[in-house]
Amino acid sequence: MSDSFSTPSFEGTSALILHRAHSNTEALARQFARIGVSAVTVWPEVEGHSFDGYDFLLFDADMGYDEQFPWAAGEAPIPTIALIGSEAPGRVTWAVSHGADAQLLKPIGSSGVYAALVIATHAFRRRKALESRVGELAARLANRENLAEATALLMVRHGVSAGAAYARLRRQAMEERRSIDDIALSILNETGTVKGSHGL
Amino acid sequence: MRLTGEKYPCGAFVVLGTGVLTSRTIDIGVLFSRSGPYADLGDQGYRGAIAGIEAVNRRGLPFRLSPVVADPEGNTDRYAALAHRLVSGGSVQHIVGCTTSWSRKEVIPAIEKTEALLWYPCVYEGFEASENVVYVGACANQHIVPILDFALPLFGRRAFLVGSNYIWGWETCRIARDVLAHSGGEVLGERHVPLGDTDIAHIVEEIRRKKPDFILNSLIGPSSYRFLEAYHALGRRDPDFATGRRPVLSCNLSENEIARIAPVAEGHLTVATYFEADEGPANAAFLESLDAEDRRIGVSAFFAQAYASVLMIAAGLDATDGGRAMDVLSAVKARDVATPLGALRVDAGNNHIHAEAHIARATADGRFEIVRESAGRIAPDPFLTRTNLAVPGMEPPAQPRPSLRIVK
Repeated sequence: MSDSFSTPSFEGTSALILHRAHSNTEALARQFARIGVSAVTVWPEVEGHSFDGYDFLLFDADMGYDEQFPWAAGEAPIPTIALIGSEAPGRVTWAVSHGADAQLLKPIGSSGVYAALVIATHAFRRRKALESRVGELAARLANRENLAEATALLMVRHGVSAGAAYARLRRQAMEERRSIDDIALSILNETGTVKGSHGL
Repeated sequence: MRLTGEKYPCGAFVVLGTGVLTSRTIDIGVLFSRSGPYADLGDQGYRGAIAGIEAVNRRGLPFRLSPVVADPEGNTDRYAALAHRLVSGGSVQHIVGCTTSWSRKEVIPAIEKTEALLWYPCVYEGFEASENVVYVGACANQHIVPILDFALPLFGRRAFLVGSNYIWGWETCRIARDVLAHSGGEVLGERHVPLGDTDIAHIVEEIRRKKPDFILNSLIGPSSYRFLEAYHALGRRDPDFATGRRPVLSCNLSENEIARIAPVAEGHLTVATYFEADEGPANAAFLESLDAEDRRIGVSAFFAQAYASVLMIAAGLDATDGGRAMDVLSAVKARDVATPLGALRVDAGNNHIHAEAHIARATADGRFEIVRESAGRIAPDPFLTRTNLAVPGMEPPAQPRPSLRIVK
């Protein structure tokens, strides 16, 4: 994540606006033009267009529906901004279920887009960082038994303490630039004693 | 002669008549605080707007401008109500007004709702572009960026930042940090003091210990005056802190202020779209046309920008035969208007002016002398999306990526 004093620039990025053509989308287009973002408006289906190549997705929380997105709820591969008109809880909840990283309230005036892009960028990075961290932790958890087994194996093989055996694993990992879990797994593979499942 | 009228019976409004009505009269709202914590700057805006209206009325155009004055007295909460009163009657479609960003944010809903225009004649931090505001002052790429481009090669890259504790101080210092980070520079310290606070001796003491190459001063009003006084005293005790050696830089300290606090601002460097010290014939004629009282107080960029706003309104009204506010705006986007700031053009995309950025040095007797003329008009980039934040020639070498991988 960038330092708090750096100025975010969106020059040269592109946004897909999933909303029927309307004075709101015109206001969005004017705001995007000022900050150097090229925007394309599409409604209701993306057919003929692909989500690939866009840096941001803005979607209509009022008339949007699940089938507009080629991904499962909450798994948008780019930062998303919900365009909210009706504050009826059903619509707001639907927008949340699609993992809206930020929102803009309609009617769209002459401000709000820049702040929404900054917030969506940060929220998206946080979401992705969390996902990858959780994946990593889950893999390590799954491999814990293998790590204990490999440590025990080295203790017996070299007649050393648990600490020294673990230090061997760690050293080998650094030398080979692999994770300790990987090293443990390959030691067990050599001896055919893999227990836990590896990875996700 | 200025007459009080009864057009707006509420106490906050005074209608200033400008003589016998010989043609169509167009009301211009003038919304500045002439008392309160930033009264000096508000007074500059007020005086500039009134002088601009008088100048237009001397031209024999098919219309006359008539100021409708409202004074929120420095109270941010009064701006919205006064702006609403001005525009809701329908006769006022143009307001020249506001000094602080907070007050501008208060006025925007009223003018957006009525399709009126706010001509905002002040330097500000940027990151806004309302369809109904014309920004007739410098935004960040026209003030803090050029003064750092000027100062870093001359004085060094180690900065100390000081500002008033609100959006102007915060954002100017933040952008300065960003520029310094892109230019291999360093921030030795950053201090913010509450608006109006004059207890700042400890900041000068910290500067004495840290010896920065320069100080960026985004303080407002009395805080700034006291700071400059204390730093001037330090420079007299210890020549290592003479302002020629470790100068103080500002994007907001203006003519009327340095005249008042002379000689303590001597050596202070300010960046602005306009300086009274400009020696061109156009500026001489402009200054010659002003009231003696305006000249005595000092004519700053805040004055000239308010004056230029009125000239642009008049040019747009003339081109559209007294058209609606948004048509007036379209007209001035399509032409250069001659003003004390030079030929001005409003950017078609973001409503900010293409402005020059001059740098001037304060003298011991309280005047400015221009030390760097702008190389030309700088296109406004209010969201800093297109501006290279590295000072030319000072980009730090690319950092090699660390080649060791850390094993967890």
